[in-house]
Amino acid sequence: MSKRRLIPKLQLKTSHYNPSKMVLVTTKQFSDFIEIGDAVSQSKIFQDQGADELIFINIDRVNKGIDILAGIIHNVSAEIFMPITVGGGVQTEQDFRTLLSNGADKISINTIAVNNPDIINNASAKYGAQCVVVSIDYKQEADEKCYVYINNGSTKTKLSPIDWAVECEQRGAGELLLCNIDRDGMRYGLDNEICNAIATQVKIPVITSGGCGLAKHFIDGFKQGQADAVASGTFFAMQDQNFMQTRSQIKNSGINIRVYS
Amino acid sequence: MIGIVDYGMGNLLSVYSAFDYLGANVIICKHPEELSEVGKIVIPGVGAFKDCMELLKKEHFDEALNEQVIKLGKPTIGICLGMQVMAKKSFEGGVYGGLGWFDADVIKLTITDEKKRVPNIGWNEVSHTSNPLFEGVPENTDFYFVHSYFVNCHDSSDVIATYPYDIPVTASILKNNIFATQFHPEKSQDFGLKILDNFISWNP
Amino acid sequence: MDNLKRCKKCLLPETHESIIFDEEGVCNICRQSEFKNEKIDWNKRKEELTELIESHRGKYDYDCIVPFSGGKDSTWTLYYLMKEYKLKPLVVRFDHGFLRHNLNENTIRVLRNLGADFHTFTPNWKIVQKLMLQSFLEKGDFCWHCHTGIFSYPMHVAIKEKVPLIFWGEPSAEYTSYYSYDQAEEVDEKRFNRFVNLGITALDMAVRLGGKIDERDLKPYTYPRLKELRKLNYRSVCLGSYIPWDVKRQSEIIQNELGWKGDLVENVPPGYNYEKIECYMQGVRDYIKYIKRGYTRPTHLASLDIRHGRIEREEAEKLISGYEGKEPQSLAIFLELVGLTKDEFYKIAASHSVSPWRMKLFEVEAGEKLPDFDAWSRDGKMKREDASSQLERWEKSVK
Repeated sequence: MSKRRLIPKLQLKTSHYNPSKMVLVTTKQFSDFIEIGDAVSQSKIFQDQGADELIFINIDRVNKGIDILAGIIHNVSAEIFMPITVGGGVQTEQDFRTLLSNGADKISINTIAVNNPDIINNASAKYGAQCVVVSIDYKQEADEKCYVYINNGSTKTKLSPIDWAVECEQRGAGELLLCNIDRDGMRYGLDNEICNAIATQVKIPVITSGGCGLAKHFIDGFKQGQADAVASGTFFAMQDQNFMQTRSQIKNSGINIRVYS
Repeated sequence: MIGIVDYGMGNLLSVYSAFDYLGANVIICKHPEELSEVGKIVIPGVGAFKDCMELLKKEHFDEALNEQVIKLGKPTIGICLGMQVMAKKSFEGGVYGGLGWFDADVIKLTITDEKKRVPNIGWNEVSHTSNPLFEGVPENTDFYFVHSYFVNCHDSSDVIATYPYDIPVTASILKNNIFATQFHPEKSQDFGLKILDNFISWNP
Repeated sequence: MDNLKRCKKCLLPETHESIIFDEEGVCNICRQSEFKNEKIDWNKRKEELTELIESHRGKYDYDCIVPFSGGKDSTWTLYYLMKEYKLKPLVVRFDHGFLRHNLNENTIRVLRNLGADFHTFTPNWKIVQKLMLQSFLEKGDFCWHCHTGIFSYPMHVAIKEKVPLIFWGEPSAEYTSYYSYDQAEEVDEKRFNRFVNLGITALDMAVRLGGKIDERDLKPYTYPRLKELRKLNYRSVCLGSYIPWDVKRQSEIIQNELGWKGDLVENVPPGYNYEKIECYMQGVRDYIKYIKRGYTRPTHLASLDIRHGRIEREEAEKLISGYEGKEPQSLAIFLELVGLTKDEFYKIAASHSVSPWRMKLFEVEAGEKLPDFDAWSRDGKMKREDASSQLERWEKSVK
């Protein structure tokens, strides 16, 4: 396969101390928001540190307007020269158009994909499969089965993430972004089991996320999870862990990733 | 002054931002007449060959481009689909004619290795000849590609860069004042910007 | 020693930032050093340096800016440019707040000896304290204000004084592989973001401090906008990209020619008294590195000496185990200045450990007190209630 990728996941939310500004936050199991930076500033840092691409998700539960997100992406695009995936509150094909024309390369859909799965087929036909990323958040329940959650992880569905992933591919998704909600921000490792189950069943790239706390977790995500890419939101924000360092450590373990200098 | 062709397809914003970031004077050309006011031309493109050629013809950009690029010899860069339309014809979804600036066809990437995917989306190491557009770019630098079809040149001297995807796939072509890349320099960080920077100062 | 994987040549461990081992188990920094010694045409580079300098000489109020700390590298840079090229520099110092007495004397002596205009700036201590605590908590490195100030502030001066040429000292390829020797290292915003600012710009810091700081107070730590630097036609380069860097030889020269004096540094073997003499928090800084990465200043110095062929591996190993990992006396001062207890200090530092290293905290030995210890200012202690909101935010993030 082509080179594995490392992708910072940038989560946007309205700032607590400055309600007119959206800032980047870290999360723990989709809550416990801690404000850690500015979208354009952090994007530039990740670019200079050689991230392979960027993922922006608007996780605010109130300010979900596409125009706000488009505005931020527009500013980011002026200074960022690598692929950008954008999501959070995308509802219609017009939303795809708006974000694409403001600099996004790929659009991520989550809740709307479950509520109206035809949007996957339609967007893929209109904009190309490479533009359509379906984001799948899930949790393991008491019955030991995993279920897909929507609405920022607040609403449980009856879908299994594996079956849903396979269906998304059939409908034309170009890429999948997985997140185990329980592991999100907890730093004890990714869910490699579900990731592996999905990655071995679909042909489209799988990005795994949720739980990186050590460089080793990234390595496991590639080796055990068989993911094409690992995305991380919290890992780089609160540690003396520079993106390029993580990259060296992953390279040292034998994974074929881009070495950037 | 650099003019970016706006025919309704392509990620104009990123291409524009990249040139602007590098300090070039750049404008978006919505009408073919505007091409006569610029010194260099950029043809971006994302999507299907057939749609692209239809739009170029509908907007009369094809005539203007032939005039400005072939007749007047203005330095030109084509990006991704913008490179593919420079070929003679494409087999994407049928058979369609291109601008014919290069003796080449656009054919599908076919692979035997099941671990590889089409479309190929991601970073790939590019091998290149010594030429002014790749000046300062080390051998085997990664560039960002998103494509299912590629430009198969009949004249191998037109090919100045390739990357391996089962076979050597054309990554960049060059003939006189016309330069093109299959990869997206505006999405390939530093070395992508370096290529655009080289284009800005290029005097073929 | 411990069971960290180490370079077969220089002993740097796997926890060193940006290290990659090749098939022979030799690290990329050693390879860069080989490149530096064997493959660079230093004559050509010197010609490029001359060209660069001549294209700027006499055209502005100053021929160049030399960012200056008073340590061996910036002193050498200043000395070299003035002696070899007879330049008129503006010497610019960002005062991080912990300058030592010997260093201040060095600065006066060197500047009187050479003769140059000197511009020094000391930022607001109350802001510095907050920044130290915040960056220690969230990045395990309390020097954010210093890293960012040292690299941003002289750029602001360059813009204000309209002096486009800025000469820094050693290129980072001497110590890490964020850049390699075959590239000309521009000391620019990209480099700033790559590894200088710990992944946080002033704008991000403002967000992390939750509006508790006047954004104007962050200006000295903010890298100027590219557009402004472009208007200046700036060139910000490392002298070490043009002449081969050799700290031992250079230190000897500035000692002999300028009367520059070395100093003792906490927990560093004797014989290295030219290193890191500027800051009285150096001991704590080095110690935190040990807690996080399992190696610190002695390993760093030994690895440089191995690469320059000055000592053998076995001798290096002895040096390291004799000096590394001791708790510095200055820790007590640090704790007062940022409002933390010792237990909190260890907890915070350990939370930033780089795998696979984990420090054994029950075997801690105390280091020696230095002669100027009592002169190190303990004024401006952080009140516990002022530290607590920052501490609470961090605790929330790690629970």
